[in-house]
Amino acid sequence: MSYSVVGQSVPRVDAREKVSGSALYTGDMMLPHMLIGKVLRSPFAHAKIISIDTSKAKELPGVKVVLTYEDTPKILWNSAGFPPSPGAILVEDQYILTNKARYVGDGIAAVAAVDEATAVQALELIEVEYEVLPALMNIERAMSDGAVLIHEAEKNIYGHTPVVIGDIDAGFADADFVFEDTYYVPKVNQVSLEPCGVSMAAPDKDGRITIWTSTQMPHLVRSITAHALGLKTGQIRIIKPPVGGAFGSRLGVVNEPIAALLAMKVGQPVMLKYTREEAFLATESRHPITMTIKTGVKKDGTFTARQLTSYIDGGAYATHTPSLAGPVAGWFLAMYKSPNIKVDNYSVYTNSTQCGAFRGYGNPQVVFAVESQIDDIAERLGIDPLELRLKNHPCAGEVWLWSGWVIESCGFEECIASGAKAIEWTKKRSKIGNESSHQGSKKRGVGMGYMMHVSGARPMLHETSAAMIKINEDGTANLIYSNSDCGQGAGTSLSQIAAEELGIPFEDVMITKTADTDVAGFDIGSHASRQTYSGGNSVKNAAAKAKQKILEMAAEMMETPVSELVVKGGRVWASNKSSEEPAKSVSIAEISHRAHFGSHGNQIIGVVSEEPPGNPPVYAAQFVEVEVDTETGIVEVLRVVAAHDVGTAINPAIVEGQIEGAIQQGIGYALTEEYCYDQESGKPLNPNLSDYKILTSVDMPQIETILVEAACDTGPFGAKSVGESGLVATAAAIANAVYNAIGIRFKELPMTPERVLAALQNKNK
Amino acid sequence: MKMSISLLINGETYQVNVPHKKTLLDVLREDLALTGTKKGCDSGECGACTVLMDGKPVNSCIVLAVDAVGKQITTIEGIGGITELDPIQEALVAHGAIQCGYCTPGIVMTAKALLDSNPHPTESQVREGITGNLCRCTGYVKIVEAIMDVSRR
Repeated sequence: MSYSVVGQSVPRVDAREKVSGSALYTGDMMLPHMLIGKVLRSPFAHAKIISIDTSKAKELPGVKVVLTYEDTPKILWNSAGFPPSPGAILVEDQYILTNKARYVGDGIAAVAAVDEATAVQALELIEVEYEVLPALMNIERAMSDGAVLIHEAEKNIYGHTPVVIGDIDAGFADADFVFEDTYYVPKVNQVSLEPCGVSMAAPDKDGRITIWTSTQMPHLVRSITAHALGLKTGQIRIIKPPVGGAFGSRLGVVNEPIAALLAMKVGQPVMLKYTREEAFLATESRHPITMTIKTGVKKDGTFTARQLTSYIDGGAYATHTPSLAGPVAGWFLAMYKSPNIKVDNYSVYTNSTQCGAFRGYGNPQVVFAVESQIDDIAERLGIDPLELRLKNHPCAGEVWLWSGWVIESCGFEECIASGAKAIEWTKKRSKIGNESSHQGSKKRGVGMGYMMHVSGARPMLHETSAAMIKINEDGTANLIYSNSDCGQGAGTSLSQIAAEELGIPFEDVMITKTADTDVAGFDIGSHASRQTYSGGNSVKNAAAKAKQKILEMAAEMMETPVSELVVKGGRVWASNKSSEEPAKSVSIAEISHRAHFGSHGNQIIGVVSEEPPGNPPVYAAQFVEVEVDTETGIVEVLRVVAAHDVGTAINPAIVEGQIEGAIQQGIGYALTEEYCYDQESGKPLNPNLSDYKILTSVDMPQIETILVEAACDTGPFGAKSVGESGLVATAAAIANAVYNAIGIRFKELPMTPERVLAALQNKNK
Repeated sequence: MKMSISLLINGETYQVNVPHKKTLLDVLREDLALTGTKKGCDSGECGACTVLMDGKPVNSCIVLAVDAVGKQITTIEGIGGITELDPIQEALVAHGAIQCGYCTPGIVMTAKALLDSNPHPTESQVREGITGNLCRCTGYVKIVEAIMDVSRR
């Protein structure tokens, strides 16, 4: 199918304001009489607060308000950004400020003062008496007999998500081989360049409060913040300026209720901006999970039983965790076909910072474990790893167990074929064990990982989006949308979809770059890779409604039935019946002018608020080549080939950019990133960018992105998704390549030089 | 203790009265509303606050404002014109190298200094040159492509 602007790598709608430094992010803003907020954080991982004395802080000149637990509404709430839905399990266990510290960094008090220096000084004047409790820094300690309770949950376990399909015992009995392995993945941080946690709240005299915030989900932050404050949802207005990266970290409330409470108490605007350290200390990271996977398999590679038992370390508050346990089960059971499947996921409290959403939402954890074991199974059975995957993955026309819906399109075979060719799989894999692949202490290997991901969260969660298209007097169009673009480029892709459907130039569509809950219709936000598919459908349908009205007006003007009209290049054309007659056309500008100021007197507007028709899964096969230095333990990724089935790529450069950026995070997950705590005191050991290592420009390998466009019928122009999938299989592919290079199976991430060296020494004993 | 100092920024002289411990970054953002320069870590680790000082890129979060006296400071606001962009900026836009945009001003400043001193760098020199500017969105792929594109002109 040929399109005019869909499929083109047009520049992003927000690129020029960002590249010139003129884009105003939340933290760049300033209002008259604006105060600066700061939060006093617990130095202990687990402690009762016996007393707090704020009198000295309140007396400090320039301090306008000091708040503690006593001043907060006694309403329990949950920060996770979910619409009320079947899959949203929202354990409400936090207050805006706490009376019991559950992690180092837990918010104890908050101040607002005339400037930052005064606010910092005020924090130092608050006197807190703590009764220190044992710090439970890992799930083993938290679940042990007699462990102190972090909340009121027996053994600190507050969720169990069981799934049973078929008869797991019969399945294992039927197997020729049974594999059982336990994997551990660490806590990692999203590290958006704009530190997570920046909002500015301004109350007005009508009892409403406006909050500018760097968020992925304006409407859900509005309702959660209202609930935490005991306000009506309509009393809050959320405005989302440009967001400096999110990757899940802003998937729900971060610090908006604190900023709002300070602002309401003092009656002045308050800016609350977390430092980089606070973004590590007090905002949600990716869940560490301990996963035991048991797989029964026939000699021919058919699975008879697949079982996952996982313990999800959710940290100090529930937030996303019990809900995330659902997708964790979903990712596992939907990857490979098996008649018998059993999953038991447990949500566990510990005294580390609460965990939440991070690109992939449990899938990178599961895929690392599953794809590591699949390679071991393939080796044992003597089957090529690619063949084993091709034999067992779900295909188009089959039911995908994640959603329970039929898979619309599948480009996985092509991902495997094109990726394997690009990495020279057959040639390089066959070389393993040959001296020619070794250069002294450096050993090379290739590996791959496969994944499937979603295009939204239906039917687990509602996926409502709303769009309005207004055709202006001159034929240009405004797209009014709750634009929760956090940098991924959704605003641009949605503008392309609108332009394509309307038949007008891309430049003539102006999307609301800033989301504003007082302006745009209800939208779930940016999560679950949903914007292009879910948002795109509502934008396309709103544009189609506007287009229908354009055609009806044109039919009147041209005295031609609608059925004989087409829109193209900003004009409506009558289909040319005889080739001698010149083609007849009217511009949309003329049509819109007539609509506004002719006898009808109404602007052409198309409005839609709806849920998307499905949730088509996407596929990827990522291939990597690594070099392991057996003297230093350093694993270097030499090359990544990422073959992704995304459906139609609305903007190929944006799609590639999503995959390339995600791979940086995926390599970090595999090799360098781990947010660590002292296991006794519970103090974070690396809450900064010197000690928490994300990859720099020189660390990144060559990346080759292959887009496989297996279009799906329900997607806007056939689009599916890409936002999260780029990192899901990366760590697994690297672990498999490392195994291929040195014959050591790493079941724990990251594969740091220390761990690699230790494993090599252990192997050589 | 506050000091009255004079700063030369983007060709303009600004008189500011600032605490002696205040960083150049905070003065730019808070006193002069030059908010194109971003704060990503406040400790010289991420490069989002990069400005040019006498043509050399520096992390303005670890430079005291008082130490910038007598230097020529260039910020992102001093690059390009009112409506037109610098070729480096145009290339970043054209290559799709901008996602969240938070690291972008710093990248522009570092790339500017790199190409001013070495107009035709190799790819590894470009990668080495921007290694102090962290980006979490792009994997640096399109940023490097854009800078290489400008260097070939």
